[in-house]
Amino acid sequence: MLSEVGFVDVRVSEPFDTFGGARGEAKARAFEVYGYTFLARRPG
Amino acid sequence: MSLSVDPLKLREEVKKKYREVALDPGGEHHFHTGRALARHLGYDERMLEAMPEEAVESFAGVANPFSLRRLDPGQRVVDVGSGGGFDCFVAGLQVGPVGRVVGVDMLDEMLSRARRGAQRMGLDQVEFREGLIEDMPVDSGWADVVISNGVINLCADKRATFEEIWRVLRPGGTLQFGDIANGRPVPESARANVDLWTA
Repeated sequence: MLSEVGFVDVRVSEPFDTFGGARGEAKARAFEVYGYTFLARRPG
Repeated sequence: MSLSVDPLKLREEVKKKYREVALDPGGEHHFHTGRALARHLGYDERMLEAMPEEAVESFAGVANPFSLRRLDPGQRVVDVGSGGGFDCFVAGLQVGPVGRVVGVDMLDEMLSRARRGAQRMGLDQVEFREGLIEDMPVDSGWADVVISNGVINLCADKRATFEEIWRVLRPGGTLQFGDIANGRPVPESARANVDLWTA
């Protein structure tokens, strides 16, 4: 979707185990939910 | 484009959940909060140690928007859904006194908490504005950088959110945000259940 809007140079980090040990861990594991950092640029 | 959920219903559910976090950050939530979460996500340890508890205790991010790129001194930054202000404080420390950071949030409880934190930390370059992230109170092309953390996944219309981010970014500006993504598809029945978006 970032590219559809026009952003370029999109990068994604390695996953963060955001919900590990939290109450929502089971639901997160069921759908393989992780946190990521996204980087993108609006063309100049 | 048809949306999976009613945006207004979802917004009310998000308000309810994050009002709970603002008023009781150490309470029982389905996600981690606070300083321990920030450490887990790789925020700078020395910076964290120097932060007052009030500035970090309601942090409920899902990743680290600064992990791929540190901000430059003097930059102008918008935080989309700034919550208790933690990422704005990090941004404020990175851009320094000649930079500017604007946090946008829709919850009075979070805005009050964030303003107290900025005052406590003496971050005059950080301010908070009430608003919706689909219609931010920020001039077009004002920001060098837009950050966000764990917020865009809570928007019913993500394309509209990214288009609004595009509007406030200057040409050549950078979007750096933390958010969640799923490796397995979520059934349509679950996507349409507004209660599950914040559970």
